Amino acid sequence: MTKKIGLYPGCVIPTEQYGYEMSIRKIMPELGVELVDVENISCCGAPFKSINLVMQTYLSARNMAIFEMEDLDIFAPCPQCHLSLTETKQRLESSGELREKIVSRLLEEEGLEYKGALKIYHTLDLLHDLVGIDVLKGKVNKPLGWNIACHYGCHTIRYTGADRPDSAEHPMKMESIITTLGGTTSDYSEKLNCCGGPLMTTHKDSALTKAGEKLKAVQERGFDALAIVCPLGGRVLDSKQERAAGMVGEKLDLPVFYLTQLVGLSMGMEPESLGLNLNKSPVSKLI
Amino acid sequence: MTEISSITDLFNMSKPESSDIRRLEGELKVLGLSSPNICFQCSKCTSGCEAMKLLELQPHSVMASTKAGFIQEIIDSEVIWTCVGCYKCKERCPQEVSPVEVMYVLKNWYVASGKPIPGDYQNMLQNMITNGFMQGTMEVLDTENRAHDRGSLGLPEIKGPKDTAKFAMILSRMAVERLGGE
Ligand code: SF4
Ligand code: SF4
Repeated sequence: MTKKIGLYPGCVIPTEQYGYEMSIRKIMPELGVELVDVENISCCGAPFKSINLVMQTYLSARNMAIFEMEDLDIFAPCPQCHLSLTETKQRLESSGELREKIVSRLLEEEGLEYKGALKIYHTLDLLHDLVGIDVLKGKVNKPLGWNIACHYGCHTIRYTGADRPDSAEHPMKMESIITTLGGTTSDYSEKLNCCGGPLMTTHKDSALTKAGEKLKAVQERGFDALAIVCPLGGRVLDSKQERAAGMVGEKLDLPVFYLTQLVGLSMGMEPESLGLNLNKSPVSKLI
Repeated sequence: MTEISSITDLFNMSKPESSDIRRLEGELKVLGLSSPNICFQCSKCTSGCEAMKLLELQPHSVMASTKAGFIQEIIDSEVIWTCVGCYKCKERCPQEVSPVEVMYVLKNWYVASGKPIPGDYQNMLQNMITNGFMQGTMEVLDTENRAHDRGSLGLPEIKGPKDTAKFAMILSRMAVERLGGE
């Protein structure tokens, strides 16, 4: 069975975290998910919550309207986008005032119609629940065999009220995917700690210090690698791992993979086709 | 002289504004959020706060000052800009208060008052208003130091807002849009 779904890449993934996007585009069709690209999309507004919440709500609603008008559910691999879309959907359900302002006035000017009936997926629930563990298991032909720590990222799991892909305090879907791919994993006390990524806008040194602390904790616990599902995490934990190491005065050499890259590797796909030659952390230690 | 915290200094200098708290409550209500008035100062938010250790953010103190009506002082301090937006405080608050969202609303007020926006925001906003996204596509290097862009990686072009002029016009108007709820 093939499921058709609209890919909403947001801002960070399609402008710099190419490995996430490449691995998504590579694995999903093999797993029965047909990705559809849609025109006229824009930022979801999440990076601008501090600037103007009306603008954030408008931008999220605008993007959802565009997918709805194409009769598509939406796949947002960025947890920040996913949260912004989900909370916007809820706000527009509960607040007549916002609905009037945004849906009736602003969207109409662009000829857009928002109903709020679409489903919003993230990588984690798409793989774990829509594709499903059984289908995933059937595709594995090169079991990973590494001990991998899971990093969910803040917005993948919080806040509960906004219908997250996994539990806020005890998320386990990533672990269940990792073991399905032939890896091992275990809980660690820093699992729910933030990577610092969102602070890159205003406090770069603190952002990189937080990333360094997280990486150091995972490395010291003896994991072979870290799996992520968030492009802001990728930006600091992988792309800027060297600088993060400098901030905490440690030698860090922890391979960081997008979960979708790991899925592809377990299916026997070429590392380059999954964008693995773009990862800045030492993934070549393992592959 | 005994040590007094900076927040006590602020309390000594200024008078609380009850109109600010009413406006804040109205805006939070539009977002479906409760008033900071029901915060009972348990500090659970601060104990898990991702910005506490490095940046000394104490969401429970921010809620205390907000409740007491010292909202302008909170806006004028830099403390609200240290929040990572991790949502742990909102998730864990036994009173369903949401320090993170209170701070988002107060940062919105700061911006609306025309004060200089910190960090990279100005640049990101400019990009978004012009092209639809907060940053342009970047060139990245692979392990052999070859440069890549979307094209060389076989990624399709991302097609942003069709009518860029209209998109920019609607966004520019946001500067005066408020959550409402007054
Ligand atoms: S957790 Fe909630 S009730 Fe407790 S201090 Fe923080 S905001 Fe107030
Ligand atoms: S959202 Fe902000 S205030 Fe709340 S716990 Fe996280 S960093 Fe602290």
